Amino acid sequence: MKNRVVGIDIGVAITNYAVVDLRGEIIAHDSFSTLDYPNVDNYLATLCERVLNLVEENGGYEAMRSVGVCCPSSNFLTGCIENAPNLKWKGIIPLAAMMRDRLGLAVALGNNPQCVALGEQAFGSAHGMKDFVVITLGYGLGSCLFSNGRMHLGTKGFAGEVGHTCVEPNGRRCACGNIGCLEAYCAHRGIICTAEELLAESQEPSMMRQVEKLNPKMIAEFCDQGDALAIETFRRTGDILGRGLANYASITNPEAIILTGGIPHAGKWLLEPTEQSFEKHVFHNIKGQTKILVSNLKDSEREVLGASVLAWMVKEYSLFI
Amino acid sequence: MSNTVKNRVIGVDIRMDHTTIAVVDQRGNILATDSFMTIDYQDVNNFMTVLSERIVTIAENNGGFENIRSVGISAPSSNYLSGCIENAANMPWKGVIPLAAMLRDRIGLAVALGNDAHITALGEHVYGAAHGMQNFVIVSFGHGGLGSCIYSNGLPYLGTSGSAGEMGHTCVESGGRQCGCGRQGCLETYVTDRGIVQTAKEMMAASAQPSMMRSLETLTSVAIAQCCEQGDELALEVFRKTGDYLGLGLANVASVLDPEAIILADLPDEVFKCLIEPTRAAFDKYVFRNIKDKVRLVVAGLNNNERDVLGAAALAWTVQEYSLFK
Repeated sequence: MKNRVVGIDIGVAITNYAVVDLRGEIIAHDSFSTLDYPNVDNYLATLCERVLNLVEENGGYEAMRSVGVCCPSSNFLTGCIENAPNLKWKGIIPLAAMMRDRLGLAVALGNNPQCVALGEQAFGSAHGMKDFVVITLGYGLGSCLFSNGRMHLGTKGFAGEVGHTCVEPNGRRCACGNIGCLEAYCAHRGIICTAEELLAESQEPSMMRQVEKLNPKMIAEFCDQGDALAIETFRRTGDILGRGLANYASITNPEAIILTGGIPHAGKWLLEPTEQSFEKHVFHNIKGQTKILVSNLKDSEREVLGASVLAWMVKEYSLFI
Repeated sequence: MSNTVKNRVIGVDIRMDHTTIAVVDQRGNILATDSFMTIDYQDVNNFMTVLSERIVTIAENNGGFENIRSVGISAPSSNYLSGCIENAANMPWKGVIPLAAMLRDRIGLAVALGNDAHITALGEHVYGAAHGMQNFVIVSFGHGGLGSCIYSNGLPYLGTSGSAGEMGHTCVESGGRQCGCGRQGCLETYVTDRGIVQTAKEMMAASAQPSMMRSLETLTSVAIAQCCEQGDELALEVFRKTGDYLGLGLANVASVLDPEAIILADLPDEVFKCLIEPTRAAFDKYVFRNIKDKVRLVVAGLNNNERDVLGAAALAWTVQEYSLFK
């Protein structure tokens, strides 16, 4: 029996890849810069060569069952990267098929929220749950819903775009072109935008005024030091996030909503207002029943682990048996 | 071990005012129906006695009790997972009532219970507009509220405690209208019959513009829709605003679920006609670009008067067969 898989996390800047066993132990891992490869064919040549090397050093090719890949804007149903706004490779790229040709192993492709949700269910905070939501909150805001124990992908594989649900009908313009999207308030850029609005609204002194390039991590540190405007920034963020999540929960009645990604590291500054607003806005049948959790997996491992779980979902195939 | 297959089920639709019983075959043909007043029975035990007698009688008169496989019931505030009516706001029977177990004890057949939106979705999936779809959303305007049911991977998605689908209580206007549920700005307060009437009243109060609505004795969404058909500007504006909210609510659901279709059920024809265009315009404006132009907004395929008994019949087939009498 083949008892290992390869999990690959293609990030905008860095590609991480690992050999993982069936209990989620990372046997070996390595990484390289995604940005070095503006051409996807060159990128895949390097990736496949590196993966095969890692595999040979860790159990051998014949022990590898399959490969799972986590990549932004990926569609599990088609195995393609589809019009990724943040990657250099444009258009529709049949990544799963291209890798299968090169590696001779079955390859599955999923987007970040899907892989993360699979990882959380197999090895993390969602272990044992059938109906739950995983939120990825960083530069973007994505989600994956599990229904009846399985991923809900939607009819074309695009489900989960909670970041682009409208929470302010006359609100901010989102990068996607729509107006008032949740992401435009709660993801990286949205939080900075809220901070800038607050700074412009008043003359109140704040440590945020002294920084040239704000980021959410800094704002959270200012909160720890008692900066009132920084605290207000996360309070507003949490208020809107809680409302968006409440709408999600009223429709899907999940056992838990699991927050992952960089932004939830702001901790209580974000989570307390989020929970308050969630309880205020969620339907009363569901009130007090939905757990809002922060992922208990390591940030550095979450995506590769999820990708490894995805690998187990495809039918085994080998060119060489 | 019997080698015969029982080829009929009973569908029961319990509404606030009356209850309908039907014998339905495998293809969804309604072979016979019967109905009686729900409101005559303030005590649920008396209601159950009458219901079981009527079921046995209609079964005996239409192919025999021994050919009935099981019973499906549609009732407000029902929980499929527990088989109970749970704290129904609009029924005379209070608290938690284990209706499925009570009926099973009385008639000796397997009984399944579901709420309106769940039943509507089942009926449409098996016999109506959602036939063949794996992922879709039913939005039901029946019973004065706005319920919904999600199908995910070909199965109804009920949520962890059976409460999924409360789309009517998603917030579309922060700090907006007071809802009966206690919160503010729920979609339901804008797009149901009562919400449309309130919008019309607010618009009439806010301007002096002449409108046929002003001379209506009782304002209803159907009457307002009839004004639209005659070109009444203010009435058209009422539906434009209603459609804007509904389109926003549906777009948010579609962005999260990527359904093949959203099926609108239990809307009067006149209202549907006036509402669909502004709803689609708002939907296209608010939905995420990947999903835009891919989701069909359609009207339910079953007749309003048959949908619930057919859905209840479809539900009956989902429970495991059981008979006290073999």
